Amino acid sequence: MPKKSVSAKDKKEEKKTKKQVTEKPDESPIKKTPKSKIEKEEKKKSSETSKKTVKKSVKKKEKKVKKKSTVEEISERKKEIVLPKKIEESKERREIRSDINKILKDKSLSLYIIDDIITRVTEDKKLKTKLKDIISKTLAEYEKNFIDPAEACGIIGAQSIGEPGTQMTMRTFHYAGVAEINVTLGLPRLIEIVDARSIPSTPMMNIYLLDEYKLSADLAKDVANQIEITNLNDVADIEADLTNLTILIKPDTKTMKRKGSKIDDLLESIKKIKKIDAKIEKKKIKITLDEPSYKKLLNVNESLKDLKVKGIDGIKRIIIRKEPEEGYVIYSEGSNLDKVLEIEGVDPYRTTTNDIQAVGRVLGIEAARNIIIQEAYNTLMEQGLNVDKRHIMLVSDVMTSNGTIKAIGRHGVSGEKSSVLSRAAFEITVNHLLDASRRGELDTLGGVAENIIVGQPVNLGTGAVELVMKRSKKKGK
Amino acid sequence: MLQYTRFEKARIIGARALQISMGAPSLIKIPKDVIFPIDIAMLEFKEDAIPITVKRVEQL
Repeated sequence: MPKKSVSAKDKKEEKKTKKQVTEKPDESPIKKTPKSKIEKEEKKKSSETSKKTVKKSVKKKEKKVKKKSTVEEISERKKEIVLPKKIEESKERREIRSDINKILKDKSLSLYIIDDIITRVTEDKKLKTKLKDIISKTLAEYEKNFIDPAEACGIIGAQSIGEPGTQMTMRTFHYAGVAEINVTLGLPRLIEIVDARSIPSTPMMNIYLLDEYKLSADLAKDVANQIEITNLNDVADIEADLTNLTILIKPDTKTMKRKGSKIDDLLESIKKIKKIDAKIEKKKIKITLDEPSYKKLLNVNESLKDLKVKGIDGIKRIIIRKEPEEGYVIYSEGSNLDKVLEIEGVDPYRTTTNDIQAVGRVLGIEAARNIIIQEAYNTLMEQGLNVDKRHIMLVSDVMTSNGTIKAIGRHGVSGEKSSVLSRAAFEITVNHLLDASRRGELDTLGGVAENIIVGQPVNLGTGAVELVMKRSKKKGK
Repeated sequence: MLQYTRFEKARIIGARALQISMGAPSLIKIPKDVIFPIDIAMLEFKEDAIPITVKRVEQL
């Protein structure tokens, strides 16, 4: 296909999708029921993560659609499934929301709570008259649960995670259920999360599928085949003929069928190797060298063994499992978030990986914040340690506060503190002090460690309160 | 009345109790049997009689 026509087609395709997006959601009767589900899901997401994340994933989807248009054999019906769903609230919900906002006036409630109230009210119409009462009660309860200003929340958080952490077993390798995927858990995993490692020691993904795909075993298998990496060695026998200096590749029909690949696909990927000539002869692929050389033949033979014919880099093994109330879910060993999200049939809103840095790269920092919370919380819960989510949220907030994922510790948060004394109090005291003195650094004594070092009250709790004389009316006496 | 946090309350009562312990006269009628300075300061705080408040600085 000539390049120009492709790009033109792309543009057309894009326009088409945009048009469809702006159209009303209840257009296609097929996806009506699952749509409300997804809408809910999306709403949850938008209240939990920032709008930025959602926007990004929508963008991702558009990109996906664009890519798909280059693949010809995909039917129109399938295309509709992957369309980005617009987040649109029903009229009823919007009315209640504006009512709530009127009652709230200048006060604020968390979006999540408001959503909850709206759902309850829509379920039970009687509640609508009591909306004012409900809101005021909620507000009172919400404000009662606020933490006091000047509370030492960081230290409390550190203790709350640290103490249960001491009870964790040092080395836990675990076979997650029947899936038999080896996952690092327990303390090593917690350290990994907090250190913001670029690649987790056991990367894995939970790949959720879209409506149609998750109900059909064949379609799920198709998606899995597109994801799982397949080497030439897996689907064919490679025979080197040393006398004629040729290599014969005999595809194994059974595995070829199971993996859903064709001999033409094999030829295509083989042709990527330079300085060889490959052609199909009687359902076999014959490879001849451009210039006869025994050494070269062996080299080509080696590279043929590891040649990737199908799948996504980094995904080593795949397990498809049927989950109750969900349908087929793909679990993978190895992770490659951006590539997997591009596969059609994969639900980009729910698919997760335990590779935090990848989430940050692909979906944005808010998504990374959420995945840190989730991973850390699940790691602790799995060990039977109940830690309040808010402590972990604080850790996650600190790690992601400047838009990149920073590690806790010398190389991250602690090492980047602006105060010299604070850094010196943490690790490698002498070096920090020496460097600071050479540079003539100034310490504003804003933090805890600095004030303790110089012997002042710490800027926390009662120490943060500044008293003044009350000059207004006096009561009593 | 300003809604004080528990730190502010502690700090105000503490400051007032120190004054009382050093001989400051009480600002409200105190029952005869209450002689502990912190108790007196707490009573005064309840009555909103302590002439001390907090300065809330908007930090950063």
